[in-house]
Amino acid sequence: MISISKLLCDLDAEGDGLRYDAAEGSDKPQITEEKQRRPVVVWNTTRRCNLYCSHCYAAAETEPATGEFTTAEAKSFLDQLAAYGAPVVLFSGGEPLVRDDLIELVSYAADRGLRPVLSSNGTLLTREKADALRDAGLQYAGISVDGLPERNDRFRGEDGAFDAAVRGIENCLEAGLKTGLRYTITEANAPDLEGVVDLLAEKGLDRFCFYHLDYGGRGAEIVDADLSPVEKREAIERVADLTLEYHDRGEEIETLLVGNYADAAFLVEYARENFGEAKARAVYDYLERNGGDPTGERVADVDYQGNVHLTQFWQGYSLGNVRDRPFGEIWEDESNPLLEALRNREQRLTGKCADCQYQSICRGASRLRALATTGDLFAPDPQCYLRDDEVRGEGGGSVVGGAAD
Amino acid sequence: MVEKARRSAVESDERGNPTRQWEVFVRDAEDDPMRHVGSVAAASGTEAHEHASRLFGWYAADVWLCPADAVERYSTRGLAETAEERSDEAAGDDDDGDDDESEEPRVYKETAGASEVNSL
Repeated sequence: MISISKLLCDLDAEGDGLRYDAAEGSDKPQITEEKQRRPVVVWNTTRRCNLYCSHCYAAAETEPATGEFTTAEAKSFLDQLAAYGAPVVLFSGGEPLVRDDLIELVSYAADRGLRPVLSSNGTLLTREKADALRDAGLQYAGISVDGLPERNDRFRGEDGAFDAAVRGIENCLEAGLKTGLRYTITEANAPDLEGVVDLLAEKGLDRFCFYHLDYGGRGAEIVDADLSPVEKREAIERVADLTLEYHDRGEEIETLLVGNYADAAFLVEYARENFGEAKARAVYDYLERNGGDPTGERVADVDYQGNVHLTQFWQGYSLGNVRDRPFGEIWEDESNPLLEALRNREQRLTGKCADCQYQSICRGASRLRALATTGDLFAPDPQCYLRDDEVRGEGGGSVVGGAAD
Repeated sequence: MVEKARRSAVESDERGNPTRQWEVFVRDAEDDPMRHVGSVAAASGTEAHEHASRLFGWYAADVWLCPADAVERYSTRGLAETAEERSDEAAGDDDDGDDDESEEPRVYKETAGASEVNSL
């Protein structure tokens, strides 16, 4: 996840932004590797969903699945996460609100020091539910909307889904819950992007997360609906422009990008073009400390059957199952050659990724997309939209190395 | 021989999400033991081998696959066992155990530098 607003609007080119993760009592920026070692855990609490979205990575269905955790099993699983020291549990699905025990489980997680956050389609978030989730300790609700009403409802397979999601967002905001939008950019909804931000900003929403399509679940079946790399670049540039326009007007919306770390490199280039070399370096340094693509490291996923995945999008492969042994054991077991390779992927990346000047802030982006389209785990991500001169550091100035050397 | 620990049966007949899961075992060099390296989702053994080969072909000399629901599993720390203990505790407690828990402070181990925190 890359925060455009933080990088372009908050980060001080002189370096103040580096105090963001400075240790208490120290003026020097601290490497956050140790702190980020424990992953945010996405938990697909159920396969069931009241909608049927064409891009669902979890391949959710409207009918309930067998084998989902009982409430007691779910609490034992949350105990595993707390014992391991996972900082955050993201209640996802399917649609997590179809689980009758969701509020009980959110409260249980909060009581164990796991920061509970929610990913929902918003359509079942009544004001009462929003209040109850807030009281249970929920820290954040991310609501999915994928276009203006017509396109969103077509995408989500139900008329009225857009209006219901907006009501859910309003209910969360009225309950005082920190709330954000989740928007997966595809060819079908890219034209609606600015319209959705404008409409929801008017409703009081100030946080917008834009997801690249990853090629897992039903997402793998609509690879053709993904934007071309050139179109993707244009869309990301529009989001960056939009962020600056809002901030220039004094409306401090937060915009974030998920699922393609070519965005990190692009934002360094964008910062150089719009603000100059010092800002570009500050952006680069910040992104380098955050560590690039988080697959298999800073993000984990556990599906409704207990299978542990490298990211929420990579449902076709599982490292192990929490019914067999605790999550922490599975996640720490680097005797698994795939896990070890992904965590040390820099030496294995091939093609343009092998020599890319932005390798340390991107790390080859999505290994799942590379695998799905080429069959090669370490080939370049087909959604890398960087130009050759940017990859090779030819063009204008390069912030890589430089002052740190 | 004395049993060191009490193992309980682990449920394994429902692992598909929803595609059937195949446990994957690989061997790197000829004198290495087979190593369990997780599971792949696949509709058939052939498809499972293709899938596993894409993930481990660069590494493994041998690949074995087994339907996840065909494996009998016993563990000292399976999820069901701890969940069962929880049910026993709840049954033996007249008060709602959650009341006690809600008194505990909610201290989040939030990591300010973690870009994924609070943001997915």
